[in-house]
Amino acid sequence: MVSAKTTIVNPMGMHMRPAQLFIKEVTPFGCDVTINVNGKDINAKSIMNLMAACIKQGSEIEIKCSGDNEEACLKAAVALVESGLGE
Amino acid sequence: MRIIDLITKDRILLGASAADKQDAIEKMVELQAKSGNLSDKEVYKQAILAREAMSSTAIEAGIAVPHAKSETVTAPSLCAMTLKEGVDYGAMDGQPSDLFFMIAAPLNGDLHLEILSHLMVLLMDPQFLAALRGAKDEAEFISVIDRFETEKYGAAQETKPQKSGYQVLAVTACPTGIAHTYMAAEALEKAGKEMGISIKVETNGSGGVKNKLTDEEIQNADGIIVAADKNVETARFAGKKVLFVPVSDGIHKAEQLIEQIERGNAPVYEHKGSAEDVVVSKNEKESIGRQFYKHLMNGVSHMLPFVIGGGILIAIAFLLDDYSIDPANFGMNTPLASFFKTVGGVAFDFMLPVLAGYIAYSIADRPGLAVGFVGGYLAKVGNSFANITGDGAVSGGFLAALLAGFVAGYLVLLLQKIASKLPDSMDGIKPVLIYPLFGVFFIGVFMYAVNPAMAAINTGIINLLNSMGGSSKILLGAIVAGMMSIDMGGPFNKAAYVFGTASIASGNYDVMAAVMIGGMIPPLAIALATTFFKKKFTADERKSGVVNYIMGLCFITEGAIPFAASDPLRVIPSCVIGSAVAGGLSMMFGCTLRAPHGGIFVFPVVGNVVGYLIALAAGAVVGMLMLGILKKNKTEAK
Repeated sequence: MVSAKTTIVNPMGMHMRPAQLFIKEVTPFGCDVTINVNGKDINAKSIMNLMAACIKQGSEIEIKCSGDNEEACLKAAVALVESGLGE
Repeated sequence: MRIIDLITKDRILLGASAADKQDAIEKMVELQAKSGNLSDKEVYKQAILAREAMSSTAIEAGIAVPHAKSETVTAPSLCAMTLKEGVDYGAMDGQPSDLFFMIAAPLNGDLHLEILSHLMVLLMDPQFLAALRGAKDEAEFISVIDRFETEKYGAAQETKPQKSGYQVLAVTACPTGIAHTYMAAEALEKAGKEMGISIKVETNGSGGVKNKLTDEEIQNADGIIVAADKNVETARFAGKKVLFVPVSDGIHKAEQLIEQIERGNAPVYEHKGSAEDVVVSKNEKESIGRQFYKHLMNGVSHMLPFVIGGGILIAIAFLLDDYSIDPANFGMNTPLASFFKTVGGVAFDFMLPVLAGYIAYSIADRPGLAVGFVGGYLAKVGNSFANITGDGAVSGGFLAALLAGFVAGYLVLLLQKIASKLPDSMDGIKPVLIYPLFGVFFIGVFMYAVNPAMAAINTGIINLLNSMGGSSKILLGAIVAGMMSIDMGGPFNKAAYVFGTASIASGNYDVMAAVMIGGMIPPLAIALATTFFKKKFTADERKSGVVNYIMGLCFITEGAIPFAASDPLRVIPSCVIGSAVAGGLSMMFGCTLRAPHGGIFVFPVVGNVVGYLIALAAGAVVGMLMLGILKKNKTEAK
């Protein structure tokens, strides 16, 4: 398993559109993706889980990838979050 | 924030059928509009469609949550729909969607993220989904939400202590926006501090809105106190507990008001986005007299800058001009004077239209403005059916403009009432065609009909003022000046003040001089008394007395209020007599003033400034002596 810490930068936080984008980005890699926010692990490939976590701008999150292509997946996920999740 | 607070029974549609995604959205937007929180349904629908165009809001398990943030959303709300047969909503898992929650959120803040998150936590529970889909009617649907929300988030009260922001919010505003606005703000803040309740006060003074309340603060507050004598923006308070009181209550009853909000005793404010409803809800709470006063003051406070700017410029023109060149053309003889007089005159020309326009605006909101302006302009020109073009007509004057403003306002309200019977599809053209067209037409007919009578009254009053002999003019000056200090900013004061400005509008400048001097006396008399009769005041009073010199010289009568409030039976008569003496003397010396505000700063443009200064000094000294005689010695606390 690999993991990296990053911060949500887009002003609106992880609302539905960024969450959908995030899932589309990481799903093709085939590994399990988990996000730890406020001490809680959530399944980052479920739109409902991502939304329910209510991740706002400035939140520190830890992205964990485990399985096939985990390194590449983590790199892509972190890059996406840091680029502002498409906003 | 709780889901249950955002949704009501009439915004739930169960077992509906929809042909496709577009149809489903149309149906939900209609539902959402029932909340009354959308100022423009179409714009909201476009926002929803634009959002869907980016990516579908269908999630999984047949659920979709279409949502949009839009400036047309005045307060957050939620609506829900279930379909007998699901439609293809573009879900990632390819399943048809049959359970919908549509979110409407205001543009600012994280609210829409919180609503989404909150909703998702509930929707992740398969039992919740089953219970929702199995609900027999809307009431059961609501109770399912309530049950699961309480289970996950605890009872409503438990979330309260976590709230951030302020417990109580307030907005203060007064017609002139110089003193009362800030005194009420201070009183409320002080009372909140003493009671241990966090409070934020927004002031709508003459310098604009300060310390503006944010949407998030409004959302989180227990309630809002609106202490105002003029209209303030209230659409943002929809759905909150709001108390509407006069600004003076904010000063004198701050503690009771905060207590009332904290006990939850305030009515929930409903704003439907149209002026009609606002006025209806006001009718229940405010007397006719207070409404009249508020509309009038909204007009006067918008008119004042024109009178002040124009009046002072015209007065400067007379100062700069050479009387000997052509006495008949005094004020326009030299190019420089002519410039000042022309620019000032243009500002004066706006006085009556602005007065009428903003009275109508206060009554009927935006649709009233144009109608009021036109009415005010016709009043100024004095057109009538006997003189259609208005060439050389006798102006209807200030009174005609007042009438125009009120008639225009209520005319538009009437039009709105009639237009409400038209089909909804015509909603869009009401403000852009029906109100302006019929409003302007009818106010035109009305003004043409009444102008001859108003002009006669106006001319009569002017002639009466002009023909008043020495003694009756002195009496008039004494009365208006005395009225200025009876309540220092209240209705008497404002009545005298409006009379003064109205006189300027009709070309009589001596009344305004008496009015202003009457308003300058109370703080000056008190300031002098704190200097010369130290024993009569506490140490604190003596300190604030010094400020009253400045207040008095700047014509801020309100500076005297703290003293008057602590000892009204002695202070007010002293001030009234001092003011009356000054007003009478001002009239006797034939002082004139073309600017309705400014205190010492407009003295250079006062006619017979020496006489004016004598009157001011005499009035202040009389007031001071009265205070010295009437007030009892204070035993020092320290």
